[in-house]
Amino acid sequence: MQDLLIALGNIFEPSSLLVLLIGTLAGMVIGSLPGLSSTMGVALVIPITFSMTPENSLILLGAVYVSSVYGGSITAILLRTPGTDASIATALDGYPLAQQGRGAEAVGMATIASLIGGIFSTVLLIAVAPPLSRFALSFGPIDYAVLAIFGMVTIIGVVSSNPVKGTVSAAAGLLLATIGMDNFTATQRFTFGESALFDGVPLLPALIGLFSISQAIALTVPRRASILSETADINHGRPYPSLGLIRQCMRTIMKSSVIGSAIGVLPGAGTSIAAFISYNEARRSSKNPENYGKGEMEGVAASEAANNAVTGGTLVPTLTLGIPGNAVTAVFVGGLTIHGMAPGPRLFTDFADVTYTLILSLFLANLLFAIIGLSVGRYLVFVTKIPGSVLGPLVLAFSFIGTYALRNNLFDVGLALAFGIVGYFMERRNYPAAPLVIALILGPIFEVNFRRAMEISSWNWAVFFDRPLTIFLIFLVVAAVVLPIWQRRKARRAARFDRDRHSEPK
Amino acid sequence: MTVKTLIASATAAVMAVAAVPAAAEYPERPVTVIVAWGAGGSTDTMARIFANYIGEDLGQRFVVENREGAGGEIGWTALANAPADGYTVGLINSPSFESKGIVRDDVGYDMEDIRPLVNVVTDPGVLAVAADSPYETLDDFVAAAKENPGELSVSHEGVGGDDHLAALDFTDKAGIDVNFVTFDGNAEATAALQGGHIDAFEGNMSEVANQIENGSVRALAVWSSDRMEAIPDVPTGQEQGYDVISAASRGFAVPADLSEEQYNTLLEAARGVIENEEFRAELAELNMPVVPIYGEDFVEFLENNRETLETLWEKDPWIEQ
Repeated sequence: MQDLLIALGNIFEPSSLLVLLIGTLAGMVIGSLPGLSSTMGVALVIPITFSMTPENSLILLGAVYVSSVYGGSITAILLRTPGTDASIATALDGYPLAQQGRGAEAVGMATIASLIGGIFSTVLLIAVAPPLSRFALSFGPIDYAVLAIFGMVTIIGVVSSNPVKGTVSAAAGLLLATIGMDNFTATQRFTFGESALFDGVPLLPALIGLFSISQAIALTVPRRASILSETADINHGRPYPSLGLIRQCMRTIMKSSVIGSAIGVLPGAGTSIAAFISYNEARRSSKNPENYGKGEMEGVAASEAANNAVTGGTLVPTLTLGIPGNAVTAVFVGGLTIHGMAPGPRLFTDFADVTYTLILSLFLANLLFAIIGLSVGRYLVFVTKIPGSVLGPLVLAFSFIGTYALRNNLFDVGLALAFGIVGYFMERRNYPAAPLVIALILGPIFEVNFRRAMEISSWNWAVFFDRPLTIFLIFLVVAAVVLPIWQRRKARRAARFDRDRHSEPK
Repeated sequence: MTVKTLIASATAAVMAVAAVPAAAEYPERPVTVIVAWGAGGSTDTMARIFANYIGEDLGQRFVVENREGAGGEIGWTALANAPADGYTVGLINSPSFESKGIVRDDVGYDMEDIRPLVNVVTDPGVLAVAADSPYETLDDFVAAAKENPGELSVSHEGVGGDDHLAALDFTDKAGIDVNFVTFDGNAEATAALQGGHIDAFEGNMSEVANQIENGSVRALAVWSSDRMEAIPDVPTGQEQGYDVISAASRGFAVPADLSEEQYNTLLEAARGVIENEEFRAELAELNMPVVPIYGEDFVEFLENNRETLETLWEKDPWIEQ
């Protein structure tokens, strides 16, 4: 308790508040720009923290982290250019809403959902970090492999009204995911000697190409005046979501916060999976699943609550065990160590005041980005009125700069452009791009964890049924495949019954 | 940090960029430091700290540029092809720097095109188990492995890397048969270790020193000739009768054609940094043992390493062909 008071004192220092504000603003900008990921944002500020006190450096890192995950949602909604993979699911419904002139409302909903998700996971971090990290450790390679399948199955079903096209897109992503150095045998697969491909098809150029560049092309094609559809008028759209709407989405937001936190706790599972699984769950339990993908506010809420809940989740194993939950928190560990605070149980005893300062800064950064987001959202939405011929080239320029900045590698820029052209035609033919990107993330997770599990067990397939946790995950996969088919069949039967009955009296 | 110091340091940074030294002495402008790994990793962290010190000494900024990918190959290729004007230096990592050419003949860089300058950090290998593991010593582990051949699992970070080679060397010398499990990084591997999904972890000391210290992981051996300061209670392999020596080293190198004069300027400046107590204290904080090897000695060190690896490769290739 005393540590918490010291932490409160720390964070309300004028210099700390300034750092918090700078970090939050910087994070929001970093998150919204294509190519500047959360990982990069945190890595960029680490050298700046060298000269700071440990408290302020953690405040800066924490603020950049949570606000960059949120920042990605703004451009995902208004421009359909998710700044990070965490916001892909947000774009699915956010962008149609922006086209309908409800951009400000969607940004508002994303902000509120992010805020709740972020705060929920931070509370979890304070309250139950140690038992949660034990839960995280119980996931072995085999469980990650099944979880990856679950993510895959979910996403194919989610993003497409046409499961065949979704599957084709995912299959293309899985094929691309086989490219790169195979760490298990140290041999190269389909790299054709191009060293930029040794680590596999890099995710962010693919993401930027398929979403941002393809969108830039679509905007520049002359028929398109601006993002806003001709019949829509943003002046009629509400600047904030109504309380009634927020109340309606509350169930989804809470559920997504739990899913996001749980997945965030697992090292290496990924923010985008959390967002998609939550989105799928929201759609499954919705009364109007057919609205998803066409501008359903609840979809935006589900994705954003989940991806911001991941932030607190990933810090659980990072702070308690020193096992970073993702690339961002891996950079965090470096930052902590530089300041002489090795992650581990001691962070909650010897350095508790500093640790609580970090956690409080997450709280405040969440509040701060929510205030900023809610106050500027109504003005940002005017971006959707900018003529496509102006906006398109701008998006293109940012995409190229962002892609190059990732690894200082020109190959990546060419790759992004190629993905952009492919993405443009996929979009026109109604092939969703999201399954491709997600397969690119999940393919390697599945492959390496499956092979690890097989190496551990000497190719004994019984490991799939060894532990209750694995069996439970397999059950989830089966349910994710069977339930939608069963529901669709039931709906069809009901429709036929309806039709038969109506035709009877004649 | 107060607002005032923030402004002051920002101003200082701007002035450092703008200032032109009166005498046209090398270095006249900022020097690029190519790091072949991502920002925030252990090589990157060391490089950035080093860059701050050497930049102060030479009166120019040393700017880290991350050219990551392909296990270092992209960055080292960039270093090999960089102009030898003294304004590009880079970090190299042993043994991957020397071993790539042995396994593949289409590696992007030629070792001849890069001249090693100074080794800074040598991070020894360790074999570790979870805190609740029944094994207290290497002998315990070996006995268990002999009782259950092919049952125990040992993680490493990629076939052909220093961890894999160390684990191979150890199991070979101990005469045991275990399952090797490949991981991409130490985070997932230590998580699997603590969760009881693997029996032992082979990695570098700096990766697990914190966990060893806080008691969540127990190191059975460190593969160095002497015990390490960061983990003084961990016995070496040799102490326990297993003659295994393995480490990952990180140091600086320059394009091969750099003038002798500039090479010596850099070498002397690097010596100054390494002998600086403050710098050593910062690296000690990160559990990175400073093991300086200067100039020609470093060149020789890498060449000897390469020869050893070549012999090993010819005798028993670690990758199935």
